[in-house]
Amino acid sequence: MMHHDRSYGRPLSLLVAFLAGIWLTGTTAWAYEAHDAVSDVDVFRGLGIAASVAGILLLIFVQYVYRKRIRHGTYHRLLLVGVFLLPVTATWSTTTTVMEGTKMVQACASCHVMDPFVNDMKNQSSPTLAARHYRNNWIAKDQCYACHVTYGVTGTLAGKRDGFRHWLHYVTDTYPDPIQYVGSYSNSNCLSCHRGTNKWERVKSHQALLGELSADRIACITCHGPPHPLPDERAAAAANRTALVVKPRE
Amino acid sequence: MSHKPDAPNGLTRRELGRLLGVSAGLACLAPLTGCNSLWERQSVIPVDGWHKGVCRFCGTGCGVMIGVTNNKVVDVKGDDEAHNRGRLCIKGLATRDILYSEDRALYPMIRKDGELQRASWDEAMTLIAQRFRESIETHGPASVAFYGSGQLYTQESYTANKLFKAGIGTNNVESNARMCMASATTGYTATFGKDEPPGCYEDMDYADCFFITGSNTLECHPILWERVRDRKRSHPGTKIIVVDPRKTFTARHADLHLPIHPGTDVSLYNAMIYVFLQHNFIDRDMVENYLTFKDGEESRTFEEFKRHIAKYTPEAAAKTCGITPRDIREAAFLFATSKATMSLWTMGLNQQVQATHSNRLVSAMHLLTGHFGRPGATPFSISGQPNACGGVRDVGTLSHALPNGRLIANPKHREEMEDLWKVPRGRISPKPGYHTVQLFEALGRGDVKCCLVMCTNPGQTLPNVTAYRQGMEKAFLVVVDAFYPTETTKFADVVLPAALWVEKEGVTGNGDRRYHLYPKLVSPPGEVKSDLAILVELADRLGHGDLISARTPKDVWDEWRKISSHSAYNFEGITYERLQKERGLQWPCPTESHPGTKRRYLPGQDPMATGSGRFDFYGKHDRRATIWLDRQEEPVDPYADEFPLILNTGRILEHWHTMTITGSAPTLKGIQPDYLEIHPYDAYQAEVKDGDPVIVKSRRGEVELRARITEIVRPGMVFATMHSCRHLINQVTHDVYDPFSKEPAFKRCVVAVRRKSA
Repeated sequence: MMHHDRSYGRPLSLLVAFLAGIWLTGTTAWAYEAHDAVSDVDVFRGLGIAASVAGILLLIFVQYVYRKRIRHGTYHRLLLVGVFLLPVTATWSTTTTVMEGTKMVQACASCHVMDPFVNDMKNQSSPTLAARHYRNNWIAKDQCYACHVTYGVTGTLAGKRDGFRHWLHYVTDTYPDPIQYVGSYSNSNCLSCHRGTNKWERVKSHQALLGELSADRIACITCHGPPHPLPDERAAAAANRTALVVKPRE
Repeated sequence: MSHKPDAPNGLTRRELGRLLGVSAGLACLAPLTGCNSLWERQSVIPVDGWHKGVCRFCGTGCGVMIGVTNNKVVDVKGDDEAHNRGRLCIKGLATRDILYSEDRALYPMIRKDGELQRASWDEAMTLIAQRFRESIETHGPASVAFYGSGQLYTQESYTANKLFKAGIGTNNVESNARMCMASATTGYTATFGKDEPPGCYEDMDYADCFFITGSNTLECHPILWERVRDRKRSHPGTKIIVVDPRKTFTARHADLHLPIHPGTDVSLYNAMIYVFLQHNFIDRDMVENYLTFKDGEESRTFEEFKRHIAKYTPEAAAKTCGITPRDIREAAFLFATSKATMSLWTMGLNQQVQATHSNRLVSAMHLLTGHFGRPGATPFSISGQPNACGGVRDVGTLSHALPNGRLIANPKHREEMEDLWKVPRGRISPKPGYHTVQLFEALGRGDVKCCLVMCTNPGQTLPNVTAYRQGMEKAFLVVVDAFYPTETTKFADVVLPAALWVEKEGVTGNGDRRYHLYPKLVSPPGEVKSDLAILVELADRLGHGDLISARTPKDVWDEWRKISSHSAYNFEGITYERLQKERGLQWPCPTESHPGTKRRYLPGQDPMATGSGRFDFYGKHDRRATIWLDRQEEPVDPYADEFPLILNTGRILEHWHTMTITGSAPTLKGIQPDYLEIHPYDAYQAEVKDGDPVIVKSRRGEVELRARITEIVRPGMVFATMHSCRHLINQVTHDVYDPFSKEPAFKRCVVAVRRKSA
């Protein structure tokens, strides 16, 4: 019995040690870098890597090292863990990583179609809504996602569909340049922060339009926009292959 | 992976390719199945097609995209490609609903036994023609009049002007723009020799200092204000100076707010010029080569001008204006020392007794300091109606004017127009007609028997309106409007229903000399006709059908743009085809290949400026702009013990003019403009609490409003909006007007406020 117990415990202790290593690496990173250096994405990515490596190691150990020393039933259960459970964890982690990762500004900026949008947002003298929210720190992080909340794990199905459509158009090079926003933008993205503030409430027009705004029949950005550079400004920026400066002023 | 032909699923490579091809083909057809809603994000309001157009409301002239489904306007959004960069204000958004108001006039009506009763078009037009003919034959052409609007399309104003001046032979052709932009016209003409602003909206992207005077831009021209704010957002060093008696929303965003007493503008601007002279902020080259100085009819030298200004020290002006000398000096410093200063103004300057003086002094400040003709450096008046510039000022739909800046009083101008209109010499009467206030006086006296009122509501908008309502009651009044009832239809003998906005086609000219095309997108309701069709039919029935040979919007426009080529306005190159394509074009634009003119009087930029120096003020004989020696006058309506407060009038963001349109828009009708802003000190004196019903009384009349106690107004001043027809503030306002522009001084009269006893 003792023999069996020891041989059963060794791979588990290895696995625990490995996970602890990953954890420690993570905590070290937290300790040394700024508070926002480790995002959800990093955690999910770490878990996924850990699960994958652990799964592979488990299979190797079980198959080539411990096979003879453990009971047949234990062998099967450990194989099941290695072949099925750990890959599922890894898959979940990967998906979540992608879903969380796409919330980050870097993810948006990785597609060159988005360059004029991201460059404009970071342009200190741009008057667009995106740029003003960015430079005034009105949104702390994931500035694109804050106003386009349909993606991410908890986002809507329509968000995934749009993402897939955008991706398809991108890889097949079948998108119109400059791109255009299709359909109605959801005002709830604006109202979730602005509604209820003094500044918002004291404007009579807002009260008068509340029904229309809630139904997205009128867009906040019609009066307060444009949120991003206009199509012709983006086209000009793309043609020059330069960072987008909204207008040649001065 | 190997691609063996005998793959487990039994597909060969070719079959796989075919399958993929067919799938891709089917995917392309997917939109035809109506399933694209599963594929693309959809609009909440389904739209069959989007059409380029222009907003119906103010003179900003914002580009809109109009969504039409089944012959009905269902959605409106800002046009990304127009100068407004896709933005619209709340009124612009409401254009979606304005055509479908319950208050639309749908069929002609004739007053029988004191009541307006439904009639046929033929019946109504026969009656109108008969009454106009009778009056012309018995009492002469000067016994009939046309009172139009800065909201009629250019083709309509042009046709009316031609019909009345060259057909019927009367110069009694007026427009509500008299009460709106007439002082800007006289101001520009006095300074530059030609009407209309020298700059453009684009200057807002370059200015480093905005001098906003007599304009609550945030509420009344919100889209232009956003552009000003954009400049400040991207260049935080940009200074905004606001001159306004009230601490308006605009003033709250200002770096410097000068709350001067209404009607003391001349002192303020003279004092600012005093500071310019004192600190040598003067453009010497400009003074020596491009300016002349005048005092009334007499020429003056620069030295004499300096002696004149010496009286207006900031200390003296500060007393008159009710502000500190330090603020005047700071305003002058900011104005003069910025890289480019742009002035913006509207009714606060135009609707006062010294309006022309104030207008030309603002231009003078720019000329003297050299803030002129560079991007961002310009005086710029903002316009209140969509076509006051194009349809009234350019067409000359005013009693003293002829097209393209010509004057009735000038025999050469009359001859030019008689030749262009192909009527015999002497056809146009040499006597200027009645201006707006005079016209309604003449209706009361019985000198004018018949008046055609189109697209405006004088029953509410005239100053001291009670006095002039009698005239409307007495005369044979034909009211053509898209809405019924209005305050004016109360006095109408005939009401004709007119098409509104995109129910008819036409061209308008907005505030920066830009001509736009409004397309006809939907059919008008009921028996409604376009104003042009009504004017053409009237011309036929009065026997002037030959004169009015152009009968469609395109034909009238073609006739008009060709006539403009005989003037410094030259916009012959603005063809219908270009208007259909472009987001408006700015005149002068003499040829079809000309891109339009952003800034005037600059050789090399303005095709009319043929000189070789920095500027060419071609409107003047000596090619120099004129600086006038203007003096602050005493107020016409001085304080009295029984009238201790000054009443100022204005607007709010959500409503427009007399609310005939915005008052029935579902999104706007809930917003009440019936209040009187009063300072806590004055409220305490009058024993008025917030929300109390109060009576505002002047020498002319009184009106009941709800008190709103606020520090937006200064002590000693009260404010009411001009919007509501439930409480007509114009029963209280003064009908005194600027002697040059004849524009009434709505912005200042003395009143008393008391609590309404229960």
